[in-house]
Amino acid sequence: MIGEDATLALLERALTLSTAEDTDIYLSSQDLGLTRFAGNAIHQNVSHSNVTLNIRAVEGKRLGRATTNDTSDDGIRKAMEAAKRNALLMPEDPAFPGLPEPQAAPRVASWDESAATCSPMTRAQMVREVCSQGASNGLDTAGACRTGIQELAVVSSRGVRAYHAGTFAGLIITTRSDTSAGWAKGGSWRLDQIDYPALAAEAVDKAVRGRNPQPVTPGEYAVVLDHYAVDDILEALSLYGMGAQAVQEGRSWMCGLEGTRAMSGAVSIWDDGGSLEGWPMPFDVEGVPRRRVELVEDGVVNAPVHNTYTAAQDGVASTGHQQYFVGPPIASNIFMRPGDKTVEELISSTERGLYITRFFYTRLSHNRGCVMTGMTRDGTFLIENGEIQHPVKDLRFTQSYVDALNGVEGVGDEAKLVLNEVGFATRVPALKLASFNFTGVTV
Amino acid sequence: MDSLIARALDTAAARGASYADARMVETAQERYSVRTGVVDVISSDESMGIGVRVVADGAWGFASTSTMTPDAVDQAAALAVEIAKASATSGGPKVELGPPVTSRGTYVTPVEVDPFSVSPEDKLALLLEADERMARVEGISARTGNLIFIRERKSFASSEGADVQQTIFEAGGGIQATAVGNGEVQRRSYPNSMGRQQGCSGWEFVRDFDLVGNSERVSSEAVALLTAERCPADITTTLIIGGSQVGLQIHESCGHAIELDRVLGSEAAYAGTSFLTTEKLHNFNYGSEQVNITADSIRMPGLGSFGWDDEGVPAQSTPVVEAGRFVGYLMSRETAATLGLQSNGTMRASSWNRLPLIRMTNVSLEPGEWELDDLIADTDDGILVDTNRSWSIDDRRYNFQFGTEVGYEIKNGKLGRLLRNCTYTGITPEFWNSCDAVCNSSHWTMWGTPNCGKGQPGQLGHTGHGASPARFRNVRVGVMR
Repeated sequence: MIGEDATLALLERALTLSTAEDTDIYLSSQDLGLTRFAGNAIHQNVSHSNVTLNIRAVEGKRLGRATTNDTSDDGIRKAMEAAKRNALLMPEDPAFPGLPEPQAAPRVASWDESAATCSPMTRAQMVREVCSQGASNGLDTAGACRTGIQELAVVSSRGVRAYHAGTFAGLIITTRSDTSAGWAKGGSWRLDQIDYPALAAEAVDKAVRGRNPQPVTPGEYAVVLDHYAVDDILEALSLYGMGAQAVQEGRSWMCGLEGTRAMSGAVSIWDDGGSLEGWPMPFDVEGVPRRRVELVEDGVVNAPVHNTYTAAQDGVASTGHQQYFVGPPIASNIFMRPGDKTVEELISSTERGLYITRFFYTRLSHNRGCVMTGMTRDGTFLIENGEIQHPVKDLRFTQSYVDALNGVEGVGDEAKLVLNEVGFATRVPALKLASFNFTGVTV
Repeated sequence: MDSLIARALDTAAARGASYADARMVETAQERYSVRTGVVDVISSDESMGIGVRVVADGAWGFASTSTMTPDAVDQAAALAVEIAKASATSGGPKVELGPPVTSRGTYVTPVEVDPFSVSPEDKLALLLEADERMARVEGISARTGNLIFIRERKSFASSEGADVQQTIFEAGGGIQATAVGNGEVQRRSYPNSMGRQQGCSGWEFVRDFDLVGNSERVSSEAVALLTAERCPADITTTLIIGGSQVGLQIHESCGHAIELDRVLGSEAAYAGTSFLTTEKLHNFNYGSEQVNITADSIRMPGLGSFGWDDEGVPAQSTPVVEAGRFVGYLMSRETAATLGLQSNGTMRASSWNRLPLIRMTNVSLEPGEWELDDLIADTDDGILVDTNRSWSIDDRRYNFQFGTEVGYEIKNGKLGRLLRNCTYTGITPEFWNSCDAVCNSSHWTMWGTPNCGKGQPGQLGHTGHGASPARFRNVRVGVMR
């Protein structure tokens, strides 16, 4: 970890090494410890620290980029020269709005000393407990436990000064028997939110109950989705349509739906990078504060998230969603409003359907409606007459996620945080959907 | 041997490592992107660091640093040993690496023109001209073009005496046109989808694509797809699959399935496992007799080509499927030892701060004997599909579903109507056993996949897949709603 004062001093020094008309520098620093396990033992165990300077140099209406992890004066100067040279290569872009002006970003205290200082031995102790639960139930346990620090800072010649340091902790567990598998995942900026004995019990329970699955005929089924599967739906809706570039190019599922009720009235989705209930990132890589954006309100599709460029195209203000150094704006701190039903109540209200733990390898089949294909995985069960009857073999689906959310029949009462390893987080409830289209079954 | 590498090995040994290796990597990358008439990105990216991998108390540890000083390297080596000792507390089998590896030498990707010697102006001019040509076709809502050039200098040494230096060059690029209308979103890409075609090569690789010459065709096909016939819904038919899509089919349904770490469960919690369990080796009909698949790290311009892998094992070629029979895995030193075999050199890390994993090298379908025109003429009723649009497969690599950018009806041995939104699905061994024809070497291309995700923390691997068009019978087609 570099720390706020040293980080800002480094970036101020770097700015003095630029000869471009305007410059901004986004610093990304990560200290990561990650312990992987399989076969009820640790098999990969790593640590890394890296600091990357991502430089944008502006000459007129031209913007060049360079990145380096060499923070010496020579290294920075070389990158500055490359960024300026790249800018001068470009034709002028009349639509380029210039670098963002400074805006005050709220400070978010997503720092947990336990997560920041978690040692390999502490992670090993957590893993031993998880593996012990698996082994005592005759299961092969695999997964990963990670802890660490993420620092983000932006400094620009326009006066932007922004710094945030946050911690992360995450645990994923897969438990396997010869015929079944279970899954659990926990993530937070706080280490004590990783209830690893409970997560292990959850994964063990699914694998034990999932033994000897029976095939079911593909077709339309009502489904009860654990929050892991709901996370997949929101990630896909984000990646394939909640960013303004996709809307402006006509590729987004949002196109033609803005202002209309395309989903059930029970569905409200928003992005909030400043919430401690998610994995906070109070400003984006342009240094623009992340605003809360209502993406879907009571089933009505609202508007996408923006970066500075797409906002200028639409004549609005950036919402602070430039997630990466290169690429489109992305909603990456997504929330879905919980309801009032327990998962057990969602199941008991289902005459015939499937209870699904999570989806796997989901990919876009068609932009309109966000039609996705993918597999169920790690615990899929047949529901009949309000009760789980037996586990079933995993199924392939081909389904519009927009249409699926138009058929919400029940919403779980607890929204849980799902944090992936590249800073994408959702806090989502379980859902009951009227219909989901299964198009195949695996061996 | 670099002095920092030597220091890392010495420190690891002093701290109690029974085995250590150190890998210093310096990567330079140029990226160019044009988006609908605007130069979207010109970026010059550099990264350097050192990763230290050790075995202590019979378990693995890995640590890395970007600070290239003796003190920082000492700390990384000591931390790697501390981590290994923590790993050992969880129990499990002791690490066995098999015979020692003592490779020495240097390797440089053979290139005709160093891509970093070509002026940025020339690279940008190529993309801008291609963009302007794509724009000549009415009805295109978005146009993209990109080029990427990578130079990776890598030094590896181990406590067993290996000491190798490599410089790997990669070049890649592509264009894409997206058309919107008629309630549809359609795109065409060239030479491949997912952004680009990429290989271990120099500037000549990109120059020979003729991006400019293909630009208007790409746009015209995207617009034509808006009003093309829909792919027939949920039928079973004969499928001829174009070379780039065969390449991805190999990647997903064979390449990942033969990774021995997946087979042994190391990736169970993330990417998954494999149906090709060890009792099937030499004892399983993966495909028909037409199917011959090879894994090599020597065929240029495959993205899996190098001098030595990241354990110092020399580049080589090994059969995977011979006349349909499954005969070989992709193996590391440790996983090979569990089967009493030796590594075939497939361990690669995406960066200095990542642990080497078993990665596909160039996993390729060997060419058959058919001319494509003859194969179409030999097909009474079916569909020809090409260029991937979507891809999905289950965690054991059985059940897959692919979508393609384009399809053409085949009737009475002739190509017919253009088809949109084509998909096909199947079960891997059934599918490859239905292969009854593979086109010859004149249709064979080494396709590059530069975005293969695996491992935690995540790594993007670069893999090669040689393939030519092939025919498959009784395939389920047209799953879409």
